[in-house]
Amino acid sequence: MKYVCSVCGYIFDEVKEGKPFSGLPEVWACPWCGAAKAAFVPEKAAAEKQEPAAPVYLDEDMEQLSPGVLSALCSNLARGCEKQYKDEESALFLQLADFFASAVPAVPDAGTEKLAELIECDLKSGYPLLRSEAAAEGDRGTLRICTWGEKVTNILNSLMLRYRAEGDAFLQNTQIWVCTVCGFIYVGSNPPELCPVCKVPAWKFEKVEGRTSA
Amino acid sequence: MKQRAVRNLRLCTKDCLCLYVCPVGAADTENSIIDTEKCTGCGMCAQACPSGAISMVPEEYPPQQPKAEKVTAAAFALAESKARQETMARQIAENADSDGLYRLMTAMAKSIRLVNEDILRESGYMLPQSGNAHALLRRMAEEPPSAQFPSEAAKRLLKLIPCNEKEG
Ligand code: SF4
Ligand code: SF4
Repeated sequence: MKYVCSVCGYIFDEVKEGKPFSGLPEVWACPWCGAAKAAFVPEKAAAEKQEPAAPVYLDEDMEQLSPGVLSALCSNLARGCEKQYKDEESALFLQLADFFASAVPAVPDAGTEKLAELIECDLKSGYPLLRSEAAAEGDRGTLRICTWGEKVTNILNSLMLRYRAEGDAFLQNTQIWVCTVCGFIYVGSNPPELCPVCKVPAWKFEKVEGRTSA
Repeated sequence: MKQRAVRNLRLCTKDCLCLYVCPVGAADTENSIIDTEKCTGCGMCAQACPSGAISMVPEEYPPQQPKAEKVTAAAFALAESKARQETMARQIAENADSDGLYRLMTAMAKSIRLVNEDILRESGYMLPQSGNAHALLRRMAEEPPSAQFPSEAAKRLLKLIPCNEKEG
């Protein structure tokens, strides 16, 4: 049996490795991208995974976007301007994004457990729903962002699992890197040569600095 | 399609060919930014540049593909979830007492924001020139969401960025 990493596609072949996947320790992680053991799926299932989610029709009022979404919407438009070499426009959109970011109300029960729940919920229902709607409409752009987004969300899920199992021991004496193109997170002393999700080179990774001591 | 030349200053070695090939002298400026007034969009400079430092950028973009409502509804629901996660990650980082947790949550907030930007880009907000982006800016400018809202920025954007669709 072969097991495939749902983030980067690494294959664990039980025959070649000479040991069963189930026998690996729970803290075992993907040798390429660091995803948790739970992010692996049996090879067959990976191909069949496409079963459409039952569509749920949300009564989303577009006028009522939250400040958090408006902030990301504006920073997205800032990037759009940057790609067109419109620097002044980009800075103005960032100013709007900052305003909305500062208007976001605090979440009263924020904690790693709650955060892990939300991340899991995106994987279980958010993405499958968006994917099935996009497939029904033949919306290839949306399908493409689902593919990247889901992989990145998978790695966040893995990191939450590790953090909750091991505490921050696995983060000591090492670095955390974020791919500035797709958001993939990598734990290690150096960034990967290529991003396992979007394939950009190492220099597109940004090192996350610790708190600046005041 | 009308286009103009833009030089990427990070790639440009500032010493060579575009200056010679440009028929109107638009590439030869003191601040190295190609003169948009003079540039005719002929593309000679981009072809001559040995460093791939010049891009030809369209002056006008074709309108975005319209999005199906069911797709955008599902996308905005996911965007709300991401926004909530980003806020939580930031809050946890702020209150973290260990360096590891602080860095992990800072990384997550960044990552989630990037993923959310992609979702929103594909939900009808790809181009700043789009009818959607303009409708949003106009609403913000006309009914500022709060007294601290930088209305001037929204107004200036409406002036700077032409709309490439009939505004809806
Ligand atoms: S596109 Fe043509 S006119 Fe414009 S800067 Fe390049 S060479 Fe000059
Ligand atoms: S040809 Fe290219 S590298 Fe040389 S000065 Fe012009 S833009 Fe810069």
